[in-house]
Amino acid sequence: MLEVKNLTKIYDDGTVALRDVSFDVADGDFLIIIGLSGSGKSTLLRCINRLIEPTEGQVVWDGEDVTTADPPQLRHIRRQIGMIFQQFNLVKRSTVLTNVLAGRLGYVNPWASLLYRFSAEDLEMAAQALERMGIADQAHKRADELSGGQQQRVGIARALMQQPRMILADEPVASLDPVLAHSILGYLEQLNQEEAITILCSLHYLDLVQRYSTRVIGLRDGQIVYRGSQEDIRQMTDAEFKEIYGAEAERVGAGLEGTLGG
Amino acid sequence: MAIWQEDEQSPAIIMSGRTSPEGKRPKTKEPHEQPVSLVPPLVAAVASMFLPGLGQIMARQVQRGLLLMAAIGSIAGLLAWRVYDLAHREAGAAAMLRKALQREPFFVLLMLTGVVILWLWIAWDAYRQAQPDRRGGVGVFVLVGVLFFTLGWQISQIDLYKVVTELPDAWPPFSRVLWPWEAAFTRATEVVSAEAEILAPCDDLPPPAPPEEIAGQPYLVADPTCGDMTTRDENLGEVPGTKLVLVGRGFAPNTETTIWWTDPGGNKFRVRKEGEYITLQTDEQGAFQIEITMPYRLLPPSAEGRQFHRVEARQVSEVGNLIPSEALRLTLGRMVETIFMGMMATAFGIVLAIPISFLAARNLMSGSWFTMAIYYFTRTILNIVRSIEPMIWALISVMVAGLGPFAGIIALTVHSVAALGKLYSEAIESIDPGPIEAIHATGATRLQTIMYAVMPQMISPFVSFSIYRWDINVRMSTVIGLVGGGGIGFLLIQYIRLLDYRSAGIAVWFIAITVATLDYVSADIRRRFV
Repeated sequence: MLEVKNLTKIYDDGTVALRDVSFDVADGDFLIIIGLSGSGKSTLLRCINRLIEPTEGQVVWDGEDVTTADPPQLRHIRRQIGMIFQQFNLVKRSTVLTNVLAGRLGYVNPWASLLYRFSAEDLEMAAQALERMGIADQAHKRADELSGGQQQRVGIARALMQQPRMILADEPVASLDPVLAHSILGYLEQLNQEEAITILCSLHYLDLVQRYSTRVIGLRDGQIVYRGSQEDIRQMTDAEFKEIYGAEAERVGAGLEGTLGG
Repeated sequence: MAIWQEDEQSPAIIMSGRTSPEGKRPKTKEPHEQPVSLVPPLVAAVASMFLPGLGQIMARQVQRGLLLMAAIGSIAGLLAWRVYDLAHREAGAAAMLRKALQREPFFVLLMLTGVVILWLWIAWDAYRQAQPDRRGGVGVFVLVGVLFFTLGWQISQIDLYKVVTELPDAWPPFSRVLWPWEAAFTRATEVVSAEAEILAPCDDLPPPAPPEEIAGQPYLVADPTCGDMTTRDENLGEVPGTKLVLVGRGFAPNTETTIWWTDPGGNKFRVRKEGEYITLQTDEQGAFQIEITMPYRLLPPSAEGRQFHRVEARQVSEVGNLIPSEALRLTLGRMVETIFMGMMATAFGIVLAIPISFLAARNLMSGSWFTMAIYYFTRTILNIVRSIEPMIWALISVMVAGLGPFAGIIALTVHSVAALGKLYSEAIESIDPGPIEAIHATGATRLQTIMYAVMPQMISPFVSFSIYRWDINVRMSTVIGLVGGGGIGFLLIQYIRLLDYRSAGIAVWFIAITVATLDYVSADIRRRFV
């Protein structure tokens, strides 16, 4: 259970990225956050594991207050929350295997890890994660030799190494083509359904939203302007659409029902 | 550290919605409005005749006017300086101009005509600029460029004619530098010689007897064995000495033989005939015969008593295997010294540059005004140190460390620290923050984040820059010896000063080979790392 209470984030330059955002996520939810670029989606996700310090408000996860946690506690919380990114954020010059093993850093002995030494169990776990993502044969390649879709799968494998109970996905498919987008979200859905990992994911594509989400929130200018279920998205009205995407936004025909090839 | 930035991605990729949010609308470009001239064209033209550029300024083309004013002013000023330089002994401007015209008529006439044309052209340009539908007109700037290049040609004393005419004189030393290998190897030498005694002048006592001939030994006999040395009379005219016939036997056959003279004072020199050193060939039996004139008397007139001179026929023949010459051995030794100078300077440079580079990285130092002050201070120092060439640092460090490779190492280290400090700090500034936040998000500690997200991004540029620097340092250390910094440059400048172009050529060849090899190796290593 994740509770976000009255979260506000004001950057040093005065930009208000989040304004009094409150919502709950039940364990096992697949929550999708929609909104324009700059609406605060990325800030919201990063405030949850405090990659960005919120200005005001509270994030409570399983009864533990994330916002006031001291550094060791915070690392303990973070290691249970996987995160994947639009730009994959792999260390490009390191091997795929090293990138995946980096997911164990919150668990292993810090001093041993500085020498790039991992236990046999961790190596076995990494092999399994890569196997599961279908990229076991790429383990010893450099990360930047892989295609975009493969890199994002490495990103998911890294998150899996954390044995996460929740995954934060910041526009995980925005850099990928529609076919790969479905493939990546398919992996997340599988994790959500088979291992009951809670997923918080920000997305641009509305058709993907209604295909994968169990719940949706819409952000505009840092405020929640829409809350709904998967079913609600299907029946989104023009007024609601414009509420999220602005008065100038146009809906393209019956695109809501359509699926992209793949 | 704020490691995340709002992405700039266009929202247009929402498949079912198209938006055009505020601020993304393309701004309509205002048509460029040209300011209207303050004066009619004719006035502008007259103003520019009076003061070039003034008309353009009055036509509200201030930049153009100032530029043209500065151009014609500096061209006229430089021309006046060149005329003065050509005729600074003359008094008065007219006399100077006449003298300058006499010395370099083509240059002076061309420039004078050019300045006058430019003056008129600027006036005409002002006339055009003051018209309502003015046009650019870059022709006047082309003329300015031509005049500057003409000045440059004269100021820098470019003389292509000289290059062609002097080439034959320059060719012999140049060819030795190009192909110096004859001087790279030598053989051990063996000397075969025989002497005969000569008395000067003749006196009443019997002259020296010819030496005894021993079969198989070289033997030289002079006839006569006494005579007068060559001297000068009161009018400094030459009074030739007695002619001697030298007969040699038992020498090596068909071999070059030289004739040497040793006087009682121990002075030893080669004997000349008609100004040239005598060089003769022995016949097939190893014998020769030659007539020589007794050379100049070098002894002071005060030397008295019977003076026995010795004449010597000498053959120097090469025996044994080829061995490296002294020049080659010295060059190899200094080349190794040079490579290690570069290596040591690079090593010291890296060690010192790494901590400094952190102070000079903007993204690490942007925390507070205090760290920013350190950043600017470090950057300024690095820029100043880097702008002073290693040669100059070597001149300074020679004062501290004395002549030799250590002074060169100090100079190269100082420059390397500045250059590497800048490159490293730029590498730090350009690291991708994405992996850092990703590793942070796994619950990693700060140290783990540095090892897993920062280091892998840093190693490749660090290694690449360091190897490149080693390459530069070895190249620089080949010339740093010119000012006393040790290494092969030190040897090279000595050979050049001794006009020993063959040995200098060996040094030049080794520098070229080493630098080319290193260039290839460093490029290859960098390619593997990047």
